[in-house]
Amino acid sequence: MGRVLLVCRLAVRDLRRRPAEAVLLLLAITAATATLTLGLVLQGASAQPYQTTRVATGGPDVVASVVASPGGDQLAALEALAGAPGVAGHSGPFPHTRLVVKARGVTTVAWTQGRGAASAPVDQPKVTEGGWVRDGGAVLEASFAQALGVRAGDRITLGDRSFQVAGVAVTAAMPPYPKICFSPCMFGEHQMAPPTAPPVSAPREDVNFGPPGPNGLLWVTDADARDLAARTRFLGYVMNLKLADPASAPAFIDAHLPTSLDTPFLASWQDVLYGHNKMIEWKQVAMLVSSWLLGMIALAGIVVLVAGRMADQLRRVGLLKAVGGTPGLVAAVLLAEYVAVALLASAAGLAIGRLAAPLLSEPATGLLGSAGAVPFTWSTVALVTAVALGIAGVATFLPAVRAARTSTVLALADAARPPRRTAWLIGISTRLPVPLLLGLRVAARRPRRTVLGMAGIAVAVAGIVAAMAANAHRFEEKAPGADPRTALSQVLLLMTVMLVAQAAVNAICITWSTALDARRSSALARALGATPAQVSAGLSTAQILPALAGALLGLATGIGLAELLDDDPVTVPPLWQLTAVVLGCVIVIAGLTAIPARLSARHPVGEILRTELT
Amino acid sequence: MDTVESLPIVSPILRASGLRMRYGQGSGIVHALDGVDLDVATGETVAVMGASGSGKSTLLHLLGGLERPSAGEVWLAGRRIDGLGETALARLRRTAIGFVFQAFHLMDELTAAENVELPALLAGQSPRAARRRAAELLERVGLSHRAEHLPSALSGGERQRVAIARALSNEPLVVLADEPTGNLDSAATLDVLRLLDSLRTAGQTLVIVTHDARVAATADRLISMRDGGFVEETRLTHGSTGRLGELAGLEG
Amino acid sequence: MSQAVGVSSKEPSDGYQLRVVREVLLALLAKEASHGYQLRARLQLALGPLAEALNAGQVYVTLTRLEKAGLVTAERVGQTDRPDRKVYELTAAGRERVMEWLDDTSWPKPAPAEFHLKLVAAAAAGLGDPGRLVDTQRHAVLAGLAAAQRAALAEPADSTAGLLLEGVVLRLQADLHWLEACARYWTPRKDR
Ligand SMILES: Nc1ncnc2c1ncn2[C@@H]1O[C@H](COP(=O)(O)OP(=O)(O)O)[C@@H](O)[C@H]1O
Ligand SMILES: [Mg+2]
Repeated sequence: MGRVLLVCRLAVRDLRRRPAEAVLLLLAITAATATLTLGLVLQGASAQPYQTTRVATGGPDVVASVVASPGGDQLAALEALAGAPGVAGHSGPFPHTRLVVKARGVTTVAWTQGRGAASAPVDQPKVTEGGWVRDGGAVLEASFAQALGVRAGDRITLGDRSFQVAGVAVTAAMPPYPKICFSPCMFGEHQMAPPTAPPVSAPREDVNFGPPGPNGLLWVTDADARDLAARTRFLGYVMNLKLADPASAPAFIDAHLPTSLDTPFLASWQDVLYGHNKMIEWKQVAMLVSSWLLGMIALAGIVVLVAGRMADQLRRVGLLKAVGGTPGLVAAVLLAEYVAVALLASAAGLAIGRLAAPLLSEPATGLLGSAGAVPFTWSTVALVTAVALGIAGVATFLPAVRAARTSTVLALADAARPPRRTAWLIGISTRLPVPLLLGLRVAARRPRRTVLGMAGIAVAVAGIVAAMAANAHRFEEKAPGADPRTALSQVLLLMTVMLVAQAAVNAICITWSTALDARRSSALARALGATPAQVSAGLSTAQILPALAGALLGLATGIGLAELLDDDPVTVPPLWQLTAVVLGCVIVIAGLTAIPARLSARHPVGEILRTELT
Repeated sequence: MDTVESLPIVSPILRASGLRMRYGQGSGIVHALDGVDLDVATGETVAVMGASGSGKSTLLHLLGGLERPSAGEVWLAGRRIDGLGETALARLRRTAIGFVFQAFHLMDELTAAENVELPALLAGQSPRAARRRAAELLERVGLSHRAEHLPSALSGGERQRVAIARALSNEPLVVLADEPTGNLDSAATLDVLRLLDSLRTAGQTLVIVTHDARVAATADRLISMRDGGFVEETRLTHGSTGRLGELAGLEG
Repeated sequence: MSQAVGVSSKEPSDGYQLRVVREVLLALLAKEASHGYQLRARLQLALGPLAEALNAGQVYVTLTRLEKAGLVTAERVGQTDRPDRKVYELTAAGRERVMEWLDDTSWPKPAPAEFHLKLVAAAAAGLGDPGRLVDTQRHAVLAGLAAAQRAALAEPADSTAGLLLEGVVLRLQADLHWLEACARYWTPRKDR
């Protein structure tokens, strides 16, 4: 018992001896665990919203639509499908038209489907807000309503008629705005049978397809739909089919490929799912990549801090051994310290991750499933804690083993890690102005730390640039209103903020240990005639140069990353944005390093040189 | 032979008057220096002796502008320096003062030559001129063959000679040495003493702080310190070997 | 004995005698027979600047005494252009004497006892201020140290005499340390 008390007391004293370091370590491990928590939580988040919605709405296996041309019997062709082999049920055909929608200053286009008051056996949209269609009252598909920013009770204009929004509903029959697609739209990977297929966009004199543009979906009463169709002079029909074997939907479609615009156009539920997943997938990729990036930065910070403490701890280990502490006791003290920090950090990380997850895991718009219902399991808690303890273990193990191996005398004498000599950098630095000379040499003394600092910045900038590229790409083809695809930018923004915060913590860690490490050589340079301004500029330079290199490296990596993650060709963000990122990065680093650098350069030289006497 | 006397002031290059230095406050206050007056003439070698904690390092730091006195004045070459700002002091150290420390304070990652050329680079000399000067100085301290060695590969005496060469880099008006032999064994002490003696002969103004009587014995003037004050001053004349035979145990 | 640690103000005029000169000369002859002037040269090399004060005739006088004591034999060697020279050779008795000397561990000590007693007596009798006595003594020793140190610095790095001078310096340094201790002891005593 007394032993445990002793270990605890020694551990607490050591932590309090270097409070700033302890806090930085806590921050770095917290960041790592928070990121890990987020990653784990979000992985399970996207599981079943489409399936849930499909069950709740009697989602169709195949959606067939056709354009009604004057004098054609397309309706008959649709109805023939209902009797085709493998079809187990159907709803419709429902009349629909395509028209301009104006709401709250946004103008876009939507498919307007006519529905009866009775519930359809297949694809009965589930009302999530307000009520079902009534005369003069429209129900908007959820993602569409969200994009327009309208709620039940608002007024919208369909074509030239004014409607009230009777409600908002979800459906499993179509992907979210703006990818709603009925004939004559091409869907997914399915094409028309080539020989007879007219060009998709080719206008036909006898048919009015309505205005071009992105498509939303809304429902009105059958009568209203026919009225609107008459006004826009464009009428089509939709029929929802239930197959005996839902998995055979693609095969069913292949068997009924449209041969012309007069024959029905079919879409499978797999196509719809693909449309939904595309969006979720994108979010997830963004999340996953960001959490990896965050983890890497956190790790770099932890390595720098632990390595920085190592030398100091080796000496303490020597001291403890010299007064009779066994290597076991010494290791126990170190372990107690790191475990305390790690447990605190994992608790904080779990809490932060838990709180931040709902912000990121909002279910794909247009589907059922509530935000905040994030799976947060014991296995997540266990894994995060285990990782934090693992970090503590490694941080203890290395110095403990080294200390156990080195003799007491050597450990006592091991005042500081000897600096590295990077001859070519020292050679180059002689030709530079004094602040650069000092800065390069400070950087060259600890090449590993410099590289870690550079890597941290590079990773952060890569993440930011990738996010910017993705964002630029999304915005390039943005539909009117709040395109759900641009909702991704919220995720990206949050991730960017986290990356920046973590990179800043990392930079502070590195600057801190650099300033401590360079105390003696800075004091010496001042004794030899360097001014405080030159010395603090030098210390800052030692961070800024690697940061600049890291930022440039990060630019290239970020664009590469965006290319890798996105199927579409990347959109390189405008030059001014890239320049702003690099400059901003340099300015932030300069700001972060200025304070420790100035503090260190103001400290009286005599005192430092005196205390550093052996 | 030896006389205890006060010196006529001959254009002192370095002068301190009423120098006081206090550390801490309240009951923990330490009077590291308690009213010290000192004049150092050009070309003179002054040794300051005293037990550990008597305020020697403090005096040296004040003379070299590494710290600022609590009270009193420091004049260097006719210019008052105790009130100067950090930057002005740094510029002054660059050109007028060379420091030598007990712990050598060489930069571990720099070779002997790179250490020696550093003050010249800080003073804005061209890399080539700085390197040439470093080579000259290393030659002078007898370490040309060690120019490319790191301090860790040098013996204590060699390190201190490199540090002395570094102190001479910008042809300082005054060299201030704090326990230059404090970390050295007898043989290395002799090497360093030889070097300091050659500086004295060449007319370099030197202030050496030490608790080693051997170092003090090579000075022109010897000042003893106790508890932050000067207690006595001795002028040592050079020349006669005196009754060395007797001291060596050769009996009459 | 206190003279051993100080330098008196009078200049040395009559030179020194080496207490152990007999033994040294015998030892130098142990390997081979030698001329007197060769022996003297080797002594001078070993003593460096201290040899200046060594009496020139001392080597020859001592050799003559040794010859009489039967410790060495001398043989006259004729020289064409000069008076004949003697070549000295060690006898068995002489060799024995050398071995005894080499094995002898006695160590001439500049014992502090006398100075210590001087201080005690001065304080007891109220005759003088022990603190001042210490100071004076310290100056004397310091001056001696300065002289020896400078002589040492003047010697080339690997000289034999330099080693002797280093010995002198280190001993005087030890004396100074002790005098500091004396000063610490006697100065507060004076205040009481
Ligand atoms: N930064 C400081 N804070 C408090 N006391 C100090 C400081 N620096 C020196 N001292 C005290 O001042 C006195 C003189 O110190 P110093 O000049 O280093 O002595 P010396 O060099 O002769 O050994 C000592 O008592 C020392 O403890
Ligand atoms: Mg000191």
